[in-house]
Amino acid sequence: MKSRIFLIPSFLAAGFLPTKSDAMPIADAGLTKSPIPSILERLRLNHIFTLAGHRSHSSHRSHSSHSSHRSSSGSGYSYGGSSSPTYTAPSPSYTPPARSVYPTVPAAPVTPSVPANPAPLLSAPATIPAPVPLKPLPGNTDKFKRITMQVQTALTAYGYYSGLIDGQVGQACKTALIAMQTDYKLKVTGTITPEVLDTFGIAAN
Amino acid sequence: MIDLRLKVDPLPIVEPLVVRLLDQPVDNRTEHDAIILDIDGDRREYEYHGFSFTVYARPHESLDGDVLLVLPGQASAHRLIRANSNHNTFLVTEQCDQLCVMCSQPPKKYHFDLFDQLAIAASLAPRDAVIGISGGEPLLHKERLFQMLFAVSASRPDLRFHILTNAQHFEPQDAERLVALGSDRILWGVPLYSANPKTHDRIVGKEGAFASLERGLATLMRAGASVELRTVVLQQNWEDLIGVAEFIATRLGFISVWAIMQLERIGYGRMNWASSFKDTSADFEQAARAIDIVTARGLKAWLYNFPLCSVPQDYRGYAPSTISDWKRKYLDFCDGCGARETCGGFFQWYDHKEGFNGLGPI
Repeated sequence: MKSRIFLIPSFLAAGFLPTKSDAMPIADAGLTKSPIPSILERLRLNHIFTLAGHRSHSSHRSHSSHSSHRSSSGSGYSYGGSSSPTYTAPSPSYTPPARSVYPTVPAAPVTPSVPANPAPLLSAPATIPAPVPLKPLPGNTDKFKRITMQVQTALTAYGYYSGLIDGQVGQACKTALIAMQTDYKLKVTGTITPEVLDTFGIAAN
Repeated sequence: MIDLRLKVDPLPIVEPLVVRLLDQPVDNRTEHDAIILDIDGDRREYEYHGFSFTVYARPHESLDGDVLLVLPGQASAHRLIRANSNHNTFLVTEQCDQLCVMCSQPPKKYHFDLFDQLAIAASLAPRDAVIGISGGEPLLHKERLFQMLFAVSASRPDLRFHILTNAQHFEPQDAERLVALGSDRILWGVPLYSANPKTHDRIVGKEGAFASLERGLATLMRAGASVELRTVVLQQNWEDLIGVAEFIATRLGFISVWAIMQLERIGYGRMNWASSFKDTSADFEQAARAIDIVTARGLKAWLYNFPLCSVPQDYRGYAPSTISDWKRKYLDFCDGCGARETCGGFFQWYDHKEGFNGLGPI
């Protein structure tokens, strides 16, 4: 008889929980769960062990740089106002945009199903399961649109295009560009090239 | 070597542009994609939003799926992601609060914030990619870094990050954010050069570095984060290596892996080569004992950047091929070596005249 007293606790200790165990009054039930894992939880966490090993800081050094002690040229992504050959006017040093590409408040991410062994990285981007690419910053988009509208206007004036001046290079605009490039003996691409801009006298800055 | 910068004909852009190069349209085409129009020798013309975008690359090199960062007015683009490589690293800042004797990427004064662009680039990476984040010290821009990590994690749960940091800028309250990002998404690569605070501080050129590193590691531990401790072996800390092993074994049992690393001969590492490089092909004893100590404790130790022939046979299993593809080279005698396939070789800028003495084909 006495053994019955210990029966259930020892089952519990062995991990055989009754199906209704959720309803059992556990000591800290009702308390808010701390987001920081307990020591026991930490031991069960799925850590990364097998990453691609070495990664040194020098990964963005320009190739010319290892001929000197250190090179400050070309290693980072910094840039200042250098002139550009075809398209752009000298651009002043870049100020970080106030707006951001990030979605508003980042929700707590769902638990990722990361495989224990990373798949080879050869898979084409085509197989990515519905990624949500972040939005481009609007500055360049506006610029492209403005130039495209100038090109569309010129194409209209020269009789190649009768569509909307909407700043989008659609099929009609491509056809017009091909015709224009053919007539002017430019390289035929159906896109806005520096040659097209030069021919129409459109400054891209 | 593999080109990390590609010559381009500039686009009419007013701010940095991230663009993914595709050889053919894909189903999940994004507004960041440029599709190939024409290849003529080393010149490749892409269509990007109706504009021609020209990139120059070696004729047989695949650029399909690569992600470029084009800066206004610059005639070369940074190849942020090479789709067929697992050695892609974003340099998020060149500012640093340490001045390590072996630094391969000496710090600069100014910071250009490109986190928005880097977040877009990451969101265009191939499936299951591991993206390295390096500096400078990335945590000097902690809020922006976390913003980027959360944004990318939400849009691309399959991606993982390997972040190199001195771990000195974590606050205890960061633990919650670290937990939210997930211990299986980020591996924090944290340098520790000695268990003796004075020696560590001297090597990294910052007083109090060891003490704040300990606090940072405590936060990482509390958050259950994945940590790769990194110790570059130098003449300055060779005698401390066993001390580091014991420190890890007794105090830092939570780490995922301890990386014992050979010196990279570039940046300050080149400048200080003579006074810092430790020829472990001539004397491996301390490293062997250090590996034994942490292994006996059930921890994983690895040798990074050690050519296999520099390592005693019993310890070659600890030396995976770790030198990034684009900066790896082999020497003349490697031609006749049976271990070449599994050996990481040498850094492009390694100089054998000043390097290991005891090497040869295996």
